[in-house]
Amino acid sequence: MGGMKIAIEDLEVSLSGRTVVSGVHLVAEEGEIAGLVGPNGSGKSTVLRTVYRYLRPHAGRVLVGGTDITSLTAAESARRVAALPQERGSDFELSVRAVVAMGRTPYKRAFAGEDRADAEIVAAALAGVGLAGAEKRRFSALSGGERQRVLLARALAQDPQVLVLDEPTNHLDVLHQVELLALLRAQRRTTLLSLHDLNAAASLCDRLHVLHEGALVASGPPREVLTPELLAGVFGVRAAVVDHPLTGDPLIAFDHRTPAAGAPRAVAEGATATA
Amino acid sequence: MAALTTAAAEEAQEREPGARAPWVAAALGCALLIALTASVCLGSTDVPLGDVWSSVARGISGGEPVPGTQDLIVWRLRVPRALLAAVVGAGLGLVGTAVQALVRNPLADPYLLGISSGASLGAVAAIVLGAGAGGLLGLGLSAAAFAGALASFALVWAMARRGGGFSPLRLVLAGVGIGQFLSGFTHYLVLQAGDDQQTHGVLFWLMGSLGGAQWSTLGVPAAAVALGLAALLARARGLDAVLMGDETAAGLGVDVTRLRRELFVVTSVLTGVLVSVSGAIGFVGLMVPHVCRMVVGGAHRVLLPVAALFGAVLLVVVDLVARTALPDQELPVGVVTALVGAPTLLYLLDRRLLERG
Repeated sequence: MGGMKIAIEDLEVSLSGRTVVSGVHLVAEEGEIAGLVGPNGSGKSTVLRTVYRYLRPHAGRVLVGGTDITSLTAAESARRVAALPQERGSDFELSVRAVVAMGRTPYKRAFAGEDRADAEIVAAALAGVGLAGAEKRRFSALSGGERQRVLLARALAQDPQVLVLDEPTNHLDVLHQVELLALLRAQRRTTLLSLHDLNAAASLCDRLHVLHEGALVASGPPREVLTPELLAGVFGVRAAVVDHPLTGDPLIAFDHRTPAAGAPRAVAEGATATA
Repeated sequence: MAALTTAAAEEAQEREPGARAPWVAAALGCALLIALTASVCLGSTDVPLGDVWSSVARGISGGEPVPGTQDLIVWRLRVPRALLAAVVGAGLGLVGTAVQALVRNPLADPYLLGISSGASLGAVAAIVLGAGAGGLLGLGLSAAAFAGALASFALVWAMARRGGGFSPLRLVLAGVGIGQFLSGFTHYLVLQAGDDQQTHGVLFWLMGSLGGAQWSTLGVPAAAVALGLAALLARARGLDAVLMGDETAAGLGVDVTRLRRELFVVTSVLTGVLVSVSGAIGFVGLMVPHVCRMVVGGAHRVLLPVAALFGAVLLVVVDLVARTALPDQELPVGVVTALVGAPTLLYLLDRRLLERG
């Protein structure tokens, strides 16, 4: 178990005058993996962005290790919180090693070069994601799964107390999803992440927080949170929740034929009438 | 275990493209010396190497050129011109590298943000409106160009800061918009040019030339390039981080808006100084960063100095070609950079794309 506790208190965020998230309270205990789930546009990314200081809260606070992060300098806060946003980078001939070495940025003064300790941290971070020896490869030439692992290594090279990840398994095939989740699990470091895949979230997370239209509607262990009622009310889908035959994790079996009664989305022509 | 990690780390460092940088820099340093020497020796009259050295030695020790020899050509014309080519080339390499990171687009060049359009307008106005207007304002050609650069900088700044972001898209839109606007005035002035000689002077300016090099005009651009290199190197990690994206950079503790603002100021002032001494020499600022990234990788701590060196070598060589390619006529250096540079860049990029499959 490692890392610091994250506490988000009464968070409100507005973007160009529109309130996107309000009244969000949530906690990720030390060493806990906390998942943010919710439909598209429910405010998951916005909440995460306030934790890695890309956005400033309009009201409320984000505490990491008991300290309001806005009272820290940008570099101090980046030594506590490492982020893996949904950006994929552009093609500027960056080597894998150069990308991972960026993780040392918050520890470095202007003009400071890389010292032996940095080189060791970078090598260890790459080894930690199973990519030792890939230093020299071009980042932009990697597969999606490798790329995410390199970005995770960059976050680990930041030696953070807390990891924040926005949809880290997006666009990955199943094997790479499983590998990435295993790496996160093995960190045993306080982690706050958003996930689209509810089954992955149920398997990985110690606690889930469900966002709906910018507000928190449920929090708790996956098994308590992911009920058919919640899945219908928040996600608009019909589903049964059963035990996974192999792992015993909660397994959500979606009904891919019928939206839930009262689902907000338009029903396609020819679909079963529900309204 | 610790020893093992250290060994692994060292080995990894050796294999990384950035590790080649010291050798590349040393090779470019040698190439620069050779190019400078060649540039001073060769020209409308070729000067033997021994005479060049004695002229340079006399010049450095403060001695007066010996009348009736080629001392004068070497020390008063060729040496300052070769050095100006090196300084401007280095500056264009630096600005090109920084602007590409600033707007996160590998196709950006130093003139994208509209600064050169203002400089050109200032210079062309000084040429066409004549010594009368220049004298009235107490401005020489370079000063007029720099004033124009500052004016366009102020306009682009005012446009880009609306909305508070200095986002890449905003900067590019403001730069391109203001640039086109000012170019309109420049073209109008060119049409108003009184005689062929004025038109010729204007065209030469617009296509870039190092013909105006003198010892007295070397100090300002040299100092600007040195300060620019220092200012950019101080921000090398920030430049790396914004390549990955603004959110990533913020997560690494980089104040992205402030960084962009500072980069915009540094690159604009440096561009303004360069354009005011040499006109808008195209293609160097676009090509140099690309070629250097292919060789030493994209990390700015090594990329910036290597780009400066390569830019210097390239422009010294190109200027030599521009002076000597035709028997009786000097080509504008910008014509040669485009004719030589564009196919080179296309070849390199094409090979890169093929390699990638």
